[in-house]
Amino acid sequence: MIEQIIFYFFAAILIISASMVITVRNPVHAALFLVLSFFSSAAIWLLLEAEFLAITLVLVYVGAVMVLFLFVVMMLDINLAPLREGFTRYLPVGILVAVLMLLFMALIVSSDSFNLNQAEGIKHAADYSNTAELGLILYTEYLYPFEIAGAILLVAIIAAIALTMRKSKTLKTPKPEQQVAVKREDRVRLVKMESEKRDT
Amino acid sequence: MLMLTDVLVLAAILFCISVAGIFINRKNVIILLMCIELMLLSVNMNFIAFSHFHGDIRGQVFVFFILTVAAAESAIGLAILVVLFRKRKTINVADLDTLKG
Amino acid sequence: MTITAELVFIVPEITLLVLACIILIADTLHIEKHATLTYWLAQIALIVIIFLVLIDFPDESKRLFFGNFVSDSMSGVLKVSICAITICVFFYSYDYLKEHELIKGEYFVLGLFAVLGMMVMVSANSLLTVYLGLELMSLSLYSMVAMHRESQTASEAAMKYFVLGALASGILLYGISILYGVSGTLELPALSAYIEAQSGNNILLVFGLVFVIVGIAFKLGLVPFHMWLPDVYEGSPTSVTLFVSTAPKLAAFAMAIRLLVDGMGPMAGDWQGMLIILSVLSMAAGNIIAISQTNIKRMLAYSTIAHMGFFMLGIASATQLGYAGSMFYVMIYALMIMGAFGMVILLGRKGYEADNLDDFKGLSDRSPWFAFIMLILMFSMAGVPPFIGFWAKWFVLKEIIANGYIWLATVAVILSVIGAYYYLRIVKLMYFDKPQQMTAIKASQEMRFILSLNGLSLLFLGFMPGALMTLCIRAIGY
Repeated sequence: MIEQIIFYFFAAILIISASMVITVRNPVHAALFLVLSFFSSAAIWLLLEAEFLAITLVLVYVGAVMVLFLFVVMMLDINLAPLREGFTRYLPVGILVAVLMLLFMALIVSSDSFNLNQAEGIKHAADYSNTAELGLILYTEYLYPFEIAGAILLVAIIAAIALTMRKSKTLKTPKPEQQVAVKREDRVRLVKMESEKRDT
Repeated sequence: MLMLTDVLVLAAILFCISVAGIFINRKNVIILLMCIELMLLSVNMNFIAFSHFHGDIRGQVFVFFILTVAAAESAIGLAILVVLFRKRKTINVADLDTLKG
Repeated sequence: MTITAELVFIVPEITLLVLACIILIADTLHIEKHATLTYWLAQIALIVIIFLVLIDFPDESKRLFFGNFVSDSMSGVLKVSICAITICVFFYSYDYLKEHELIKGEYFVLGLFAVLGMMVMVSANSLLTVYLGLELMSLSLYSMVAMHRESQTASEAAMKYFVLGALASGILLYGISILYGVSGTLELPALSAYIEAQSGNNILLVFGLVFVIVGIAFKLGLVPFHMWLPDVYEGSPTSVTLFVSTAPKLAAFAMAIRLLVDGMGPMAGDWQGMLIILSVLSMAAGNIIAISQTNIKRMLAYSTIAHMGFFMLGIASATQLGYAGSMFYVMIYALMIMGAFGMVILLGRKGYEADNLDDFKGLSDRSPWFAFIMLILMFSMAGVPPFIGFWAKWFVLKEIIANGYIWLATVAVILSVIGAYYYLRIVKLMYFDKPQQMTAIKASQEMRFILSLNGLSLLFLGFMPGALMTLCIRAIGY
């Protein structure tokens, strides 16, 4: 019973915040509402005994991806007014489409065809470690996909750098190889001068 | 006690919100990217629910990979957005009319 | 088999990954104006991969890495073709990028990663590897489109490509999650076995299937999910359009076969109907809209939509011969479109893209030889016998007629005849119109040679389509 109350509580927060993401004016607010959605999803995932992923969602999504979003929103000087044009025009149609789709989807996913609808979720004992089990299967059975995921992250790094790095022509940078190659003779010139005599 | 149907319907609601968001925010690229994140969140919710009720950890492994790919995807998406903004000074999809589509 | 013993089967993939990383480092350390070293290293890497696949050519189907990877003759044939096509694409690209001063080492490195993604897709045996391969390929392609930072259209095309591609992945994933929920497995053969064992029609399976098909249709650009394709083709630098339109189509064919046939073969009755609707819509819209285009890149994009619709018919017939026909079609299509975009690159020069139909006016006066090559390409795309494009259409049509879809074959033929109009219009422009400019064609000797080879291969293959078709049939009949 208590589980259900917690679930409905977080589900309500999730739905409200997700709706706010798509309707608020300001992209910064949208990003913050998205953060709230991720937090409440993480809570629901904890109820479903996916502890590792719940923590990952908070760390990776809230900690990295959403910060990146906020960073970009603030870096770009966006004029908000024109972005709202047509919003009210599309709103009724959008809601209609979404509601119809939802009725259809909800009807299907709540049918009994999963054959395990009434079954209880698998509960694990208190000393069960989700992280250990996930790690075990990830590095054995899912070794091949794991390597591909590594390649995908590498592509993201290359692409992000190649797309956004700008080399200005006026920028002056030190060249280490030239700095190292410098000899004393290049920099210091010893000048021999005769000491001057005081004419008194 | 928690039912599978509850979680699945929650995921379906999230999916529909994200589709509606793509529909009504078709001018603002940043919000479009956020809607795609919401859609992936709903898929992840599905996988975790199935994983819990099947007692099979593979669903969670899939979510792990979706999280990884989604992080890479948003990095590239935002990079393209920055390139676009530098050139056009707008992220309004309606202004992106050099191409007819 | 232990994991170490299984590593032998993914040597081409491992080598490609390692070489791509080495080339990336070489590119950062060795700065030069034209990225010549990176280019040649990338070409050598692709040749090495072709040899590695050929040396240990898979002749029987093996499922490895806990059912995440499959090695069969279809994957072998497709891997070799993908690498070979990419070699030609890089070849054309290099000339183009140098001419337009867009050259960057990352272009080739990302291209190699896209090839890696395609190879993963081609031998995917679980829903997870299909998804990961698809993303590795798509992410590389998005960034290749955006690489031309100075161009407004390129970044705009990249943004559209990205948003719709990500949306397609999301929809595909939702379908995959439902399939996993019903069957409790991620492996494609196990999923197929589960569906086989199911009595009656499970509405949830069909529900998941619809999402998967929408995802595939988005990626292939089938109507009504085609809106991104003309914009991306027109907006990207021609070299990237060339890449996006060739090798990834082979990978998309493999993805459709893996998901629909390997994974949901017993549900063929359900997906056949959906594919037929998508095909007819694509052929109709593609061929008719293409007629009114004045930009050749945009025209070829609509022609791609029509060709993708035609090629889907082979899969929709749900027989081994139909799949082989589709495979034949997509390989030939890649060859034809590569030549056509190669021609656009050939006619362009510094600061000028020859992407208007008017640029082809009077080509026969400027260069009779290349007008002839373009004639072969256009006749082949229109499906005029004896060129190879005719045989590609022929094998697919034969199979759908054998399955009793006579009305479908009639529709396909009528729409192809409508489509022939805009291909033949280019031929008319080349031979019967006055040229608007008489500047000589300026391209390297190698470029001329490869492009001629590309065009002539269509002519010669047209005289002996049997060999390639036998190869496709053997590749499919696992």
